[in-house]
Amino acid sequence: MMEELFAKFFPQFIALARTRVAAATTAAAGRDHAAAPTVVRELHALAGEAGLLGLRQVIPLARDCELKAKALQRSRGDADADALLGALRELAQLIERLGAQQGG
Amino acid sequence: MANAERDRFIVRAEIRSSDAHVISYGFDLTATSIFVVTEWHAAIGTPVQLRLSFPRILAPIDVVARIGDIRVAGEPGEPGGIRLVFDPGAGDAAGRLVDLLDRLHAPPSAAAAGDLPCRVLLVDDSWLIRDMFAYGTSRFFDRPGALAVDHAEDAEHAWDKLAASTYDLIIVDYFLPSEDGASLIARLRRDERLAHTPIVAISVGGRDAREATLSAGADVFVDKPLVFRDLFNTLRMLAGRREDARPAAQRKAILVFDDSPFALALTRAALESAGFTVAIAEDLSSFERQRVAFDPDLILVDVQMPEAFGDDVASTLRGWHGVQVPILLVSSLDQSELARRAQWAHAAGYICKGAGMSELVRRCRELLQGAP
Repeated sequence: MMEELFAKFFPQFIALARTRVAAATTAAAGRDHAAAPTVVRELHALAGEAGLLGLRQVIPLARDCELKAKALQRSRGDADADALLGALRELAQLIERLGAQQGG
Repeated sequence: MANAERDRFIVRAEIRSSDAHVISYGFDLTATSIFVVTEWHAAIGTPVQLRLSFPRILAPIDVVARIGDIRVAGEPGEPGGIRLVFDPGAGDAAGRLVDLLDRLHAPPSAAAAGDLPCRVLLVDDSWLIRDMFAYGTSRFFDRPGALAVDHAEDAEHAWDKLAASTYDLIIVDYFLPSEDGASLIARLRRDERLAHTPIVAISVGGRDAREATLSAGADVFVDKPLVFRDLFNTLRMLAGRREDARPAAQRKAILVFDDSPFALALTRAALESAGFTVAIAEDLSSFERQRVAFDPDLILVDVQMPEAFGDDVASTLRGWHGVQVPILLVSSLDQSELARRAQWAHAAGYICKGAGMSELVRRCRELLQGAP
């Protein structure tokens, strides 16, 4: 049963994860501080969605991005923005690897 | 209630003769005959192949029948049609029809009396029809709460309700604003989750509406003005059959509250696959509506949501609303943080999203003892 659910929902997860990470990257690169609460929420959601689907390797990276997004929300500093962008790149690479492994 | 009235429930009737294929509905079923509403007729005594069916009530029964009588449409509520008399050699089919009639006449079982209500969604843009239906069902059903009727005034509202909850029957009017009933029915049939839900189409539109809705996938079409008694008898049969249609454990109802549509869809799919009935809510207003309408046995609440924290929701339900059903916090927060919040909220426990769907289903089964 869980295998069938995974097969059904995995492509949706990859598409959604790409969208969430791309939006967070755009906001961080453009120093869009108004978008910070949404970015934090979406990265938090991404960690939960990955966990429910059993993609445990995504969770620590997504949580790290969430924490860095919170730090940027507080400081609005370039150093925190760059740290978040670095973490998001790592997360994006992992999502692409997962997508490629599963043909997504 | 006299038996003659109790017999008047609706089934789908498909007639095949040498020159016609008619899909319509029948009522006044007895062990030997049924009245089928149709404009088509042939000479009295003409033989036809007849298939009677209704999802969850009557598995398809094929019988040979002959036209025994022809009735021209009369007053509203007296549609024209033909009485088909079953061939004496109907054999097994006749026996199954007698069984069906016996079930119809049987009093509700004790098990059914403690069951969840039969849930019906009525999609009709007329508030008066909706009120008549609600009032009629409240008077018709002997057991209060046997039937829970929800309403939608158009296809979009219906779709929202269907996405958020589970129904045993959907009744769809053909003439709806912006999107007609046939289009809605076709969408329902394309949806993997809703494809097998019984659908009754209703309309004043006569043959055109009948053909459009049946072609779209309605199980039965019923002309307006509705003879509510016929429809209610059908609902009573459906309510009685819930016991047979689902294993006992499947009747446990779980309400899932999460702001992530993906998490909701995945959780619902997993819990429904495990045999639970599931409703979902993406925001506070839909959560409150679902909690009242759905009467869940278990509530799953995400913690970090835009409108409120799930532990505050759980705490308020427990302490202020007196909600007794178990509430589980579900989150990707660290386990220690989640445990602390669950304890503070007097929740029944917590589930880390990172533990995956298998663990979530296992915890739900554990909490709902006797569930699958």
